[in-house]
Order: sequence, then structure tokens, then C-alpha cells
Amino acid sequence: MKLRKLVFAVFGLLLLTTSGTSFYRSRHLEEAVVLSPGVSEVKKLGDYFEGIRGTVNDCNIYIMEGEEPGGTVFVMGGTHPEEPAARLAAWILAENAVMEAGRLIVVLSSNRSASLVTRVGGAYPPDFSIPTDWGERTFRLGDRWADPLDQWPDPEVYIHYPSGQFLAFVDIRNLNRTWPGRPDGSLTERTTHAFMELIRQEKVDLFIDLHEAELQYPVISTIVAHDRGEELAAFTSMMLSDMEFNMGMEYSPPSLHGLSHREVGDHSDAVSLLFEAPEPFLDATRGKTTREQLLTGKDEFVVKAGKAGLLFEKMDENGWPVDVRVGRHTSAVLMTMETWSELNPDRPLRCRGVPRYDEIIALGLGHWLHDPSAAPPERVEIE
Amino acid sequence: MFVYAGLVLGVMVAVYIVAKLFKLSTELSMFAAALGGALAGGFGLPPRHIAEGAMTYLDINLIFITATLFMNILKESGGVAFSVRGILKRFHRSRTLLVILLTVLLLLPGALTGAGSVTVLITGGMVAVVLQTMGVSRARTAAIVFIIAGLSAAAPPVSLWAMMTAAGVNMPYVGFFWPLLLPCVFLSLITIFLLGWKGGEIDLEKALAELPRPPEGMGWGKVFIPLLVFGALIFMGRQWPHDTPILGLPLMFSCAAATSFFLSPVKLDFLKISRETIKQLLPLIGTLTCVGVLVQIMTLTGVRGLLAVTVVTLPVALVFATLFLVLPISEAVLMWGAAPVLGVPLILLFNNIGLDPIVALAGMSVIWPLGDALPPTAIIGRLTVDVVGYRENYARFLKACIVPALIIMAVGTLMVVYSARLSFLTGL
Repeated sequence: MKLRKLVFAVFGLLLLTTSGTSFYRSRHLEEAVVLSPGVSEVKKLGDYFEGIRGTVNDCNIYIMEGEEPGGTVFVMGGTHPEEPAARLAAWILAENAVMEAGRLIVVLSSNRSASLVTRVGGAYPPDFSIPTDWGERTFRLGDRWADPLDQWPDPEVYIHYPSGQFLAFVDIRNLNRTWPGRPDGSLTERTTHAFMELIRQEKVDLFIDLHEAELQYPVISTIVAHDRGEELAAFTSMMLSDMEFNMGMEYSPPSLHGLSHREVGDHSDAVSLLFEAPEPFLDATRGKTTREQLLTGKDEFVVKAGKAGLLFEKMDENGWPVDVRVGRHTSAVLMTMETWSELNPDRPLRCRGVPRYDEIIALGLGHWLHDPSAAPPERVEIE
Repeated sequence: MFVYAGLVLGVMVAVYIVAKLFKLSTELSMFAAALGGALAGGFGLPPRHIAEGAMTYLDINLIFITATLFMNILKESGGVAFSVRGILKRFHRSRTLLVILLTVLLLLPGALTGAGSVTVLITGGMVAVVLQTMGVSRARTAAIVFIIAGLSAAAPPVSLWAMMTAAGVNMPYVGFFWPLLLPCVFLSLITIFLLGWKGGEIDLEKALAELPRPPEGMGWGKVFIPLLVFGALIFMGRQWPHDTPILGLPLMFSCAAATSFFLSPVKLDFLKISRETIKQLLPLIGTLTCVGVLVQIMTLTGVRGLLAVTVVTLPVALVFATLFLVLPISEAVLMWGAAPVLGVPLILLFNNIGLDPIVALAGMSVIWPLGDALPPTAIIGRLTVDVVGYRENYARFLKACIVPALIIMAVGTLMVVYSARLSFLTGL
């Protein structure tokens, strides 16, 4: 009996040490950002709301002041870090965008806590690497919800503020269920409150929240638009579908609370949009859960589900590579700016340096990720 | 991919069978199957995935432990014995009222904790004594306690099958109250009337002599105040959600346990009760922990995807026609692991074909517990016959369960098939 206990104790200790090391490493993996020449200022979210300063969610805010005056667009990545194309598209903006007119604000880790943990039961890889022209860059994968180490316990049921709508208890850690937030709420609620303060203080005209979705989810390959953004979204969707790739457009349901496309529009002057790209990695029918599947988006099981008519987006043996998903987002952002400028000529948004869909597919996403070791240290930030 | 995942699944099943042949417990057999799957899948022994999977149901385990601690303190303080004796004295002349109240006593512990075993351990033994004094045979008594214990576990507010499946499809655990409560209460009453209606006159003296005596000073107030504390904490959290600190269910149950402890008319050994609670729950906590590891490895290797895609692409009629068999068998093999492994793809399928996922999941949740009497695990079935003191052939106990089990299967399946029409029950 003693020997058995000893064997189990040793096994437990080994498990604790080896897994603990892995968890520590991924929670402390530093992701570099080589600032684009267009980045004029890097602020912290805590600059807009004291209640978030110094917390794990006190993320970087990259501000790109335009050469000419214009409107202000805020692009948010990392709402759900397990949707990497959303974060990577924002990364491309932070490392390459130069505003000719108007102002661009970019966030890469809006729920930074969620980027430090992987989903229990999900078997996610802790990180993934993108090949570049000079080597490779490694990024944390993350989860949909903030890390329970940063926000725990969950309530018996999550009641959204201010609507009073009942939501799943776990969604109190979901950044896209806690808008518009509240100053004395949970960490995630305080985070969205801080972003609302940013939107108000920086007088944001246009807010874009980047996402990815499983193919079995009906809201996919689309723009979800707040009531005040319907015209903008409809034009953008039409232009993208005509010139680059198929993109849908949906109205933000007025009764669905906590989501950015509804609450940002309702509680600020900004027009709010949410973009969805397809990510087979999130499908419950996916096969092996590997970095390769995450990046290539290829999966035989999801293809079979598609043949059975269970998907809301096409799926074949070519899959949905991360370059395609990131390219959809960068093109959608650029097209939205162009449409915005046509609809609001007094507040134009013009941007250069950001690759479109075709360019990313031709040269690879890594082509636009720069070498931190070759950049001046003052132009490198850590996420 | 299909061949690869099929081979890994084959290895996992083989390792599980071999482990059971070597008399390993169900939880260790599942753990061994997970390790076998990881090795066969070419992932070696992945410590990160083992640790992460083991944490999957940490919150549920905490709810389990604190709720059972509460129930055990209530039992040790004499509150449960007081309630059973009080009900018996007051209602022994009316068989109908008595069986209804016994049903409530059996439903309450499992509904609050999500565990049928807690019902069996807390009130099962005492209700069995009352039923036997009412002239119900031991086999039928065991069947009543087992079936209602299973339904109590499926009943709201805590239904682990529904919670685990809902979590697996990113569906809020909201709207389940009535779709779970109504069939659980209805089927429990059918079971107790069906199996416990026939019998002789109640021998009150004999029954009271066999039941434990509550200590002096125990009263209804001391039974209800801890329950009221729990209810008040839930109410405050829902009524003033943005002005009330988030306590979480484990701390709420702990508050109820503390109230029961301080109100107890006899001095209780808190550490002893805590130790016994953990000892009592260890197989279940172990099962949930190992199910988490198993599901994580199945997801890692694509086995979960294989099962999911196979199920969602089956002809729907075939799925409906076999639910009554597939669910209890999966429960018998995987226990709660059946919910994330099989429940998730089934709910995706039902959602895709336009059924109401909440009502459908509630229907499945009432069928699942039936598997807890079947080998290879049969944990709740074995526990029930032990507690009730049924020493005869286990097959006779199973035979006594058959008629209510068939009714439960039929009701559960009909709830799935007609879930869209029953969606008004969710209140959403």
C-alpha cells in the first residue's frame, strides 16, 4: 500500500511540475509588436479608466494619428483570443498601417486575461507560430473567456448590466457578453467599461470588433451591424462580395444584449460593427486538435459535416488557412474605411501600408510581421 | 483522419476493457484509457493536457462537495430524521400524501447537489424504512429509491448532464428549470405510486422504532433556516445582481452548511463530517476528474470529433429510435462523461434539424440516470441496494426497475422528438 501511495505521489509531483512549467511559460510568453511608422502614441487602457490600471487587462492601445484630419476608427482584436485571425489582423494593422487621413486606434489583446489560458477540455495548443521572411513569430492561443485565475468564482447565473438579461454563468468572463460594462463590476465588466470610456474620450466614430466563428454557427463570413451602421455595412458587404470575396451582412438583434455590435452603438456615438471569419478549429466535429489544424483550417470531419448539410459556410479539402482568414479581415477593415469616407466625406479615413486579401494570400501573412530584433527597441512593444 | 481516430478509439476501448478486467475502478480505467489514447495518437504522455483535463469539472466538484457537506451536517444534526419522523407521524393515515412527501424527501438532496448518490445516502435509507413498514417489498423499495435518486440528480437547479452538455455547445444553462422539473416530479410520482402503492397498513410504532431518533431541541425551524439561507442568497443574487458580491454556488452551499452546523442541537465534529463527506464523494470526484482527462485526450486525438461527426450524420429516425438504449449504456460506461462525449454531438444535431436544444437536452437528462444501475459501473445501483439492505439477486432489483424505466425512456424520447412544440416550457 505504501509503495502504491509513493508511486502515485511521485506521478502527481511529476505531473504538477511538468504541466505547471508549461502553464507558466504560456502565461508569460512575450509577444512582440514592431510598431508601424504610423503609430504616434502607445497608451494603456488604464489611462481611460483607473479601475483597470495595473490589472492583467490593462492592455496596450496603439494610436495612429493621420497626416490629415478625419474620422476616428477603433479596430479591436483579441476579444476572443482563441480566434487568432482576429488578433493577427489587428497585428498587421499595428505593424504596418499609416493613416493618411483620420485616426486609427488598434487593440490586440482586448481580453488579455483570456489570451493567457487555454480552454479546459478543449485540448488547445498553448501557442502557435507564423513563418515570416526572417524567421518565425510565436503567439499565445488563448481562450474565449478570461482566466479564472484572474476572475473567480462565476455567479450562479450571469445577469447582464444594464439590461438584466440572463446569460450563462461563464459568460461573465466573456468580453463580448459584458458590454457596455460597469465601473464596479467584475474584471471583464470593468474592461468593457474602460473601452467605452476610451470610445467616448477619443470620440471614436467607427468601432470594429474582429472575430472568427465555427462553421456550424449561422453568423459567419459576415458583418453584424448596429442600426446606425446598416448602410455602411451593406455597402461594404456589397463591394467586398463584388471585388474580393463573399461577405454577408446582418442586423444586430435589439434584444441580444452584452455584444459589442449592440451595446457600443447604443451607449456611445460610435457606429459599431462586428466581422466574422470562418475558423474550422472551433467546430465541435473537428478532428485532431493541433497547431496544423488551427493554421491550415483543413479538417476531414468538418468536410463530412458540410456534406451532410450541417454547416453555414462552404468547407472543402482546401480548408480555411489562416492567411485567408486574416486577409478577409484586413480587406474588410480597409473596405469599411473606404465606404465610410464616401458616406462621410467630412470625416475621411484613408490608410496605406496594410495588405489586402489577395496580397496576404500571395505573399503569406508572415511577410507583414516584422523582425523585433532588427527594430529600434523604442519601437517594440510587448503584448 | 477517420482511420487514425478510429484506431485511437479502438485502443482507448481496449485499454478500458483490460483495466476493468484487472479490477481497476471505473475512474482509473477511464484514466488508463485516456493515457492509452494519447500514446496511440502519438502525443506521448502529455502532462499539460492531463492537468488541464483534470480541471475541467473543478467548479462542479466544488458544488458537489459543499452541497453534500451541507446535507451531511443536516443529517448528523438530526434534521433529516426529524423530518422523516414528522412526516410519518402526521401523514401515516393517508398513503397518498405520505408517498408524495416521501417523493419530495427523495428529490430534494439530489436536485440541490446534482448527485443521485447524495439522495441515496442522505434520505434513501430512511425513506426505505418507511416504505418497508408500508408493506413495500425490499426489491421494489430499492427500485423506488434508485429511480427517484436518478431523477433527483436530473432535476433542477443542478443537473450535471444538462450543465456539462450545455457547456460543451456554448449554450447558457438557462431555461432548463421547468423542462427538467416537470418530468422529474411527474416520473417520480408515477414510480412511487406504481411500485409503492400496494402494501399493508402502516405500523407506525414499528416504523418510528426503526428510524433514528432526532436529538432534543431539533425542530422545523432548524431544518428550514439553512435552506432559507441558501434560497435567500440565490434570491439576492438574482434580485440585486449588480449590488451583491458574487459568491458562487460552492460558497452559498457552505453558508447553508455553516448555518445548519451552528443551529444543530448537538455538538457536531465538523472535521469528521468533512472527512466522511470527502470519503463518500471520492469515487464521484475521481470520476468527474478522470472524465475531464478522457474528454481532453479524445478532443486532442480527434476521437471526440469522430464520435460527433458520426452521430450528427446518422439518420435522425435512427437516433430517435435508439436514444433509450444509447443514453443509459453510455452512462453505464462513462457515467457523466457521456454528456460531453455523446450529449454534445446529439444536441448539435437536434439544433441543426430545428428541435429545441433545451427541451431535448432535458429529455435526454431524464433518461441518462437509468444507466447508473447497469454494469460495468452501476455505482448508484450498488449503493442503493447496500443502503436499502437488499441482499438478494441484483437482477431481481433490475427487474423491479423495468416498468418505471420504460415509462421514463418513453417520456424522455418524446420530449426530444416534440421538443420544438414544448419550447414554451423554457420561458425564453
